[in-house]
Amino acid sequence: MPFTPVLHSEWLKIRTLRSLVVGLGAVVLVTAAFSALAGLDNAGDEGQEADFDSLFSAFFGVSFGQIAAITFGAQAMSAEFQGGALRLSLAAVPRRGRWFAAKMTAVGIPALAVGLLTGVVTLAVGRAVLGDRASAMSWAEGLRGAVGCGIYLALMALFAAGLTALLRSGVATLSILIPFLLLVSFVVGDMSGNAADLLPDRAGQVVLHETWDGLLGPWTGLAVAAVWTSAALLAGSWSVRRRDA
Amino acid sequence: MTSIDIRDLTKEYGTTRAVDRLTFRVEPGRVTGFLGPNGAGKSTTLRLVLGLDRPTAGTATLGGRAYATFDEPLRHVGALLDAQAAHGSRTARDHLRVLAASNRLPERRVDEVLAEAGLAAVAHRRVRTYSLGMRQRLGIAAALLGDPPVILLDEPSNGLDPEGIIWIRELLRRLAREGRTVLVSSHLMNETASFADHLVVLGRGRLLADTAMREFIRARVDPRVRVRTTDGAALGDLLARHGYDTVEREGEGEGEGEGERLIVHHARVADVGRLAWGAGLPVLELVAEEATLEQAYLDLTATEAEFAAQPPTPTEQPSTPSAAQPPTSPAAQSPTQRQEA
Repeated sequence: MPFTPVLHSEWLKIRTLRSLVVGLGAVVLVTAAFSALAGLDNAGDEGQEADFDSLFSAFFGVSFGQIAAITFGAQAMSAEFQGGALRLSLAAVPRRGRWFAAKMTAVGIPALAVGLLTGVVTLAVGRAVLGDRASAMSWAEGLRGAVGCGIYLALMALFAAGLTALLRSGVATLSILIPFLLLVSFVVGDMSGNAADLLPDRAGQVVLHETWDGLLGPWTGLAVAAVWTSAALLAGSWSVRRRDA
Repeated sequence: MTSIDIRDLTKEYGTTRAVDRLTFRVEPGRVTGFLGPNGAGKSTTLRLVLGLDRPTAGTATLGGRAYATFDEPLRHVGALLDAQAAHGSRTARDHLRVLAASNRLPERRVDEVLAEAGLAAVAHRRVRTYSLGMRQRLGIAAALLGDPPVILLDEPSNGLDPEGIIWIRELLRRLAREGRTVLVSSHLMNETASFADHLVVLGRGRLLADTAMREFIRARVDPRVRVRTTDGAALGDLLARHGYDTVEREGEGEGEGEGERLIVHHARVADVGRLAWGAGLPVLELVAEEATLEQAYLDLTATEAEFAAQPPTPTEQPSTPSAAQPPTSPAAQSPTQRQEA
């Protein structure tokens, strides 16, 4: 059984569900909107604190946009765990490893494309809102941030999809990941040292900073996030291949 | 033509044995009714055939091949397992397009099966707006998508309106006439009797019967003749003299209308009528009482139900081969063994 028809089928599944298409659009809108709001909010502070990071200010909205990205990943996978849909899918494509690979490709590629678009739009919005304060940011840094934003959001969507395949529930995945991203990482991250830097979101977001002083640089940080995602995908793939549908 | 071969198929969930050393073959060119009470293992067997669950032991093959080895399985086997499998937010047409794409089936087939299932007019509506009957039709349409030689349907008449029930009946008979292998699970006896040629009956995961439907009924329920005459005693004597020793008088018949009503076992109306005419006895009513599948099925499962109702006692049962089986008395089990032999 060739891979292309299976991928085509999985891509059709995503395209024909309005909630998933809307979810992808929300990644762009939410990220850009929160970046703009954050920029405007700080616009009055002419103080220019010493640790002001204009690149991260421009990409501030990624903290919120990633929620849309993981929701997309979790939903795309969890649709298979409703009312015996997985049985129908695996009856049509009995090679489960291939089916899972197609599913993840159909989640990952649109997430990457939308993530890159989000990066470009957010960078433009961020620069416009920040005005003079963004002058320290070079175009190279901006480009790195935009590309990194795309890769990061795609990795988070796949992380959520893999976890959903393992847990067999989108609700379970989101109720673990959303509190984790919104609370744990903020709280634990600020007070701890190197270990917290290896958490997927903190490692993956180094690429959105102009400067960094931790263990990980922009690309090593994304690599660490990719290791997390690979682990989730392996676990999800194991679950799909091993368990009764 | 493709037959389904089930050999020593066993599936255990924890300590429960859902399917217990099942062996049977589903032949092409006829509709095989797959009967059994809820929880008998019908759906589990279908999932095992489709490679969705891993058997604990044994094999299930289609035309000699395991399901998972088919490159484009929808072209070989069509299945309806669960009418809820279609995502509510997708349109019926998109649901089928997704399936068709995975097996490189032309989009033309999507419209053909939608028309065949009577859903062409509502093809662009979201599945969420469908009634259970419409979802069943969509599930059957999905099973027909690849024009497969083997069709497996799990409770397809669920939720169908009378029109839908007639449609599915005729569809199943046509598919069998076309030489396909059709296996249809159900717990509705009258419905199954209307389309099945052959029966496979399960109880508690084990095979209780695998016979032609007519034979199944004939072997379990006596053909009877009901006759009403003015002189019950005379007719009773006459029949007894001719070897019909199972004549019984039915008391309740005496109240309505004149004469007495007799039930004659193992008899044909023609024989009883001729005898009565020869003896000059007036016959007021002469009816062949057709045995129904329901009667035959209940007769078969009565023993099963008996021991199911017994409280489980941890007695040693050398005759029960599996530890997962409930304790049974040898007497209760004998009809099963008779069937299997």
